Amino acid sequence: MNGRNTENLKELFERFLDSKEAEQAAEDIRKGERIVREHPAPEPGREVIANIKVRVAKAVLRRRANTIRRMVYKAAVAAAVVLIAGVGVRLWLSEKGGVKTGKIIYASVIPSAIWGSEDTASYDADLAVLNTEIEQVESEIGGVQSVETNGNGRGELTELEMELTEINSDFWKG
Amino acid sequence: MSDASDLGNIIKGCKNGNADCFSQLVDIYAGRCYGYFYRLTGDRGLSDDLLGELFVRLVEKIGSFKGDYFESWLFKVASNIFNDYLRNKQRQKRLLDGQRKQLESAEQEDKNSSGEQIDKLQMVLGRLDANTREVIMLRFYSEMSFKEIAKMRSEPIGTTLAKVHRGLKKLRELMG
Repeated sequence: MNGRNTENLKELFERFLDSKEAEQAAEDIRKGERIVREHPAPEPGREVIANIKVRVAKAVLRRRANTIRRMVYKAAVAAAVVLIAGVGVRLWLSEKGGVKTGKIIYASVIPSAIWGSEDTASYDADLAVLNTEIEQVESEIGGVQSVETNGNGRGELTELEMELTEINSDFWKG
Repeated sequence: MSDASDLGNIIKGCKNGNADCFSQLVDIYAGRCYGYFYRLTGDRGLSDDLLGELFVRLVEKIGSFKGDYFESWLFKVASNIFNDYLRNKQRQKRLLDGQRKQLESAEQEDKNSSGEQIDKLQMVLGRLDANTREVIMLRFYSEMSFKEIAKMRSEPIGTTLAKVHRGLKKLRELMG
């Protein structure tokens, strides 16, 4: 280390002052530093030093643990990179046809004939018929209810049941 | 102070995480670093705290030491710790209170006792501006050259020389 004891103060000051002023400035510094030297600062207590050494030892242990943790993380990252690279290479080879991978079989829950049908006109006609029949049944139910309140609705009810049975069979025939 | 090659081996040991080597560093430099902190703060308890913080930070940062001049590096870390401390407003208030108390007590003490002499220097240092006080103490305790101090503080060597010269001249006048 190029310490203060080896430097030439006068030469340093001569870069900024004339020779006489530089000599005076160097002397001011020497005298000022002598005063500081003659008035030493107190020393740290033994207990303080002992405590610092304990703290330092703990910090060293912590640093070691961090180093090991970092090494483990690095190894884990390296392993992950190798694994991902391996999977990538395998996929790439399978795309090239080099490696056969298992086929995935999948199926729709709803038959494709239903989803694929474009005969909407016939479905619309069937729906129109069905709606008309439902309306008819509703009006007849209304009639039955009014008859019931009058105390004579047996024949109407039988007729209604027959119609419902007929609608049911027609609907399922298509 | 230990021989340069011994110090080199100690630092090498520290870099390898050897707690005994750190312990030796504490033995070598605790006195000087403590003096530096004490002269800047005038508070023994605070200097104890800053000294502890310095050596713990040394453990964390020793890997970043690549230069030849360990003492320059060590006092740069010490200076950073002191300036971090100054930036903390609450602690800064405590420092000012401590210095005021010390100033008051120093004035009351008998001027002929040796204890008074130490306090008198501290009192006079308290009259210098913080920047000048720091550069004077840095030079005294780190034993760095003006060139190294200027480099460390990122200022022209003429500025460093002027600060130290002006500060020490004033200190001499005030000490009588």
